[in-house]
Amino acid sequence: MSTGVLDPARVGQGSGDDTGPLAVRTDGLTKRFRSGQVAVDDLALRVPRGAVYGFLGPNGSGKTTTIRMLLGLVRPTGGQAWLLDQPMPDAGAAVLPRVGALVEGPAFHPYLSGRANLDRLAAVDATADPRTAARRRDEALERVGLGAAAEKRFRQYSLGMKQRLGLAAALLQPRELLVLDEPTNGLDPQGTREVRHLVRELADAGTTVLVSSHLLAEIEQVCTHVGIMSRGHLVLQGARSVLAERGQARVSVTTTTGHVGAAARVLRGLGLEEPVVDGLRLDAPVDGLAPEDVSAALVRADVPVVGFEVRRPSLEQVFVELTGEGFDVAR
Amino acid sequence: MSHAETMVGAPVQVRGAFGRLLRSELRLQLGRRRNLVLLAGLAAVPLLLGLVLFLTRDTDLAGQGPGFVGKVTENGIFLVVASIFVCLPFLLPLTIGIASGDAVAGEASAGTLRYLLVVPVARTRLLVVKALAALAFAGSAVLAIAVVGLVAGAAFFGLHDVVLLSGDTVPLGVGAVRIAGVVAYVALSMTGLVAVGLFYSTLTEVPVGAMAATVVTAIVSGVLDTLPALSAIHPWLLTHHWLDFAEFLRIEPDWQVVAGGLGVQAAWVAVFSALAWARFTTADVSS
Amino acid sequence: MTETSPLPPSPRRTLSARARWAFPAVVAVGVGAAFAAPPLLASADSSGLPPVTPEELVAAVAAAQPQALSGTVVYTARLGLPSLPFGPETADPVNLLDGSSTLRVWTDGGERSRVSLLGDMSEFSVVHDGPEVWTYASSDDAVVHYTVSDADRARYESLKDDAAAGQVPGGADLPTPTEAAQQVLDQAEQLSHVSLDAESTVAGRGAYQLVVTPKTPGTLVARVVVAIDAQTQTPLRVQVWSTQDAQTPALEVGFTDVTFATPSDSVLAFSAPAGATTTEKVVTLPTDEQIAADHAAGADGELPEGVTVSGTGWATVVQATGVDVPGLVAGDPSALAAVPSGHPTIGSESAQGLLDQFGPQDGAGPASKFQGLDPAALYDSLTTKVPEGHLISSALLSVLITDDGRVLAGAVPAATLQAMA
Repeated sequence: MSTGVLDPARVGQGSGDDTGPLAVRTDGLTKRFRSGQVAVDDLALRVPRGAVYGFLGPNGSGKTTTIRMLLGLVRPTGGQAWLLDQPMPDAGAAVLPRVGALVEGPAFHPYLSGRANLDRLAAVDATADPRTAARRRDEALERVGLGAAAEKRFRQYSLGMKQRLGLAAALLQPRELLVLDEPTNGLDPQGTREVRHLVRELADAGTTVLVSSHLLAEIEQVCTHVGIMSRGHLVLQGARSVLAERGQARVSVTTTTGHVGAAARVLRGLGLEEPVVDGLRLDAPVDGLAPEDVSAALVRADVPVVGFEVRRPSLEQVFVELTGEGFDVAR
Repeated sequence: MSHAETMVGAPVQVRGAFGRLLRSELRLQLGRRRNLVLLAGLAAVPLLLGLVLFLTRDTDLAGQGPGFVGKVTENGIFLVVASIFVCLPFLLPLTIGIASGDAVAGEASAGTLRYLLVVPVARTRLLVVKALAALAFAGSAVLAIAVVGLVAGAAFFGLHDVVLLSGDTVPLGVGAVRIAGVVAYVALSMTGLVAVGLFYSTLTEVPVGAMAATVVTAIVSGVLDTLPALSAIHPWLLTHHWLDFAEFLRIEPDWQVVAGGLGVQAAWVAVFSALAWARFTTADVSS
Repeated sequence: MTETSPLPPSPRRTLSARARWAFPAVVAVGVGAAFAAPPLLASADSSGLPPVTPEELVAAVAAAQPQALSGTVVYTARLGLPSLPFGPETADPVNLLDGSSTLRVWTDGGERSRVSLLGDMSEFSVVHDGPEVWTYASSDDAVVHYTVSDADRARYESLKDDAAAGQVPGGADLPTPTEAAQQVLDQAEQLSHVSLDAESTVAGRGAYQLVVTPKTPGTLVARVVVAIDAQTQTPLRVQVWSTQDAQTPALEVGFTDVTFATPSDSVLAFSAPAGATTTEKVVTLPTDEQIAADHAAGADGELPEGVTVSGTGWATVVQATGVDVPGLVAGDPSALAAVPSGHPTIGSESAQGLLDQFGPQDGAGPASKFQGLDPAALYDSLTTKVPEGHLISSALLSVLITDDGRVLAGAVPAATLQAMA
């Protein structure tokens, strides 16, 4: 197993396995509701600083409850959580000003305009400088593309505009950490692209982003790290590139008539499993072998290579492989 | 150097933060259309009452009515007291129940509560500000009745020297001070109900439930106050001392009675504020 | 304005949920203690008064100078009467029949005083100012002004140093501990046993408790307990216990708060407010011959025609004949005129006092209350039908109205009246 993967089974107890400073860390974080239902069970989250952490899982898997515990909205029944190296919820007053959050959809006063709603949030922020409030508010509105609709009442906003206003609220102050719960919910494809772009831009500026979604495809491209929740458990977490390698890559070689046998011999000679032959195409897993070594060996053996393809499983396939469960199939 | 790395150390609290929070809350509550409609509704009571008394002043109905209603035609300043008396059993508790029951539950049901808390606003501080705003609204409600009552009373019937309950007459200036005392006493008498409403408001995410519970509490208290079998607990009831505002219109107000009534309100405020605080600072915000 | 303060570097450990919920519990206990403590403290210093004998105490009360005072009096009647079909909100003397009433008392110790019966939004005031008495009912803005005639004014001046001066124009008294005690103690020695009970605290003042027990067993009055202020010998509380209830006094009138100081002049003065309906009444003072006759006949005085008295002291029964009961019930004013005397006199002064207190003020108070009600139905609901007629039975007073127009009343069991009828 690759060293880059943080297997929850190994790091769950908060050992020294952490690689570098963390923006979010939880140890044994558990939430048992009064009904007895365990929403989050023994969670060991590791979000490195500077990462874009995709927090994935089907609806109801415990993502939102985890985020609420991280932000001090819900009291854990067990375990601990740290944001930016400070314990939550005790250090909320010191930490939360450095954290922007969008929790379970935007929520604002419907009878106030977008601008007035942001002014309200700026006014209640004890750490915000009132002299720069107007400038920061206008910048945030421009950044999410709501500059023209700032005077409209929130009630009249479309779902996408509401989501954007939520993002603007999270961006009212410069943040070290952004926690975005389902930020693409209700956005059209163009809006989703814009959010991805925004996340990447913020990450490039050094902000750590924890972004949750039940739709893997929407955020997979921007993530550097991934954590996957299933039924209250964190079933997998780590750097995306490492995780992707966790599933077996396969190489597929297409040659010309008469060379199939030779190609199979080369592959066998490299120690690969018996390739599956389909016409002129050979297919074999490449355990621990670089794909370029495979292609070089074929060329050395004078096997004509018409096509050469390395297929890595997607995160979704990894997830299905690990849990036997797919993402929200209805979508 | 990246953006995030430039921010080292804990954020600092800007001076005047509490004042800004309070101003924002007051602007939100007192600028809200629903609350303005409620205030306007209360302010309409003295207008209607004054109009009805003005139109019937020369008929057999003149001089009739409970409390001070019968005295209004003789002296417009009594329209203030009569209107408060009319609003006290139901309309005033209703208005205050709506505003205080909505204080926390309204934000919870709109979802804005979670965003306030992650800004962050400390829960205790938020509760204090919500309580102050609800108190300010309660004060505004009583004041709305009083000011409109005074203006309408003066316009309809004129202002004259004030005849006290004991039959003694005091100059208008002294009488106005006494009626200001009535208004202040009634406003302070609402503080217990505000605290009760605030507590209910922390229990639920359904504001209508908290509002209804608050109003029902005031009404049940009023009903219990009329049952002779429960006379032992009457002095402790939320509404029992509300009508003691009459003390300001007796020849020598008994300050022990006034202090007793306010003391019971203070007891309700203390207990229910403490309950609201315990509930709100331990509750999971899951809306 | 840009001054800033850094947040504490290491956050305080926040309180646990359990600790937070303990806070309201502590507050509730604190509030309870705050309200319970003052009465406990006040009752702590009720002992240590110098010892006296009952006789010395009665004499001291009789000799005591009337005190200038102001205070709050609570009057409670638990007579066991059928409840009246109107509420207790308005200050009206008829409400003294049952339940609890609050009065404010101011007196300069001489001929000026004010007593106000408090209602929620109303007041009934009686202001004595020398030869003049005012009553004012705020509920109907009505003033009654009692004066002595010009001819009698000089006589009033000569009489006022007499013991009876304060009560001269009478007719509109509200119960106060002082008056109630006076009525009991005047009769104490002749007809009752007098003893001392444990010292007590009334209105925050140390008080002796004098127990007056009727010698006769034929009365409803078990005993009367008078609490007397140790410093000023002013009666602070009177409790009348019925033979029918050993748990709570049937009648109690006492200060809950008292200050011994001369009230301000504005409280003791009265002038009818503009717009009030004022009724003028001229009271005739008794002549010297009448007063002499009163003294000769003891407390009984001269009986009006049609009224007879039987029994003595506590067990006295008054009988009036020729009362047009159906006419009264129907609200016929001419029937009222037929009632002998405005003020029936009973041998027992305490019973007399009760009647005075309950009696209608010249037909005004209660009668107006009954407007809009069916008087006959009300009469039936207030009385019990017995073979002899209709009976009103209460803890301290029984009244029998016979079908042939006689009315018997006394502080005696109902059976006594029925046997007499």
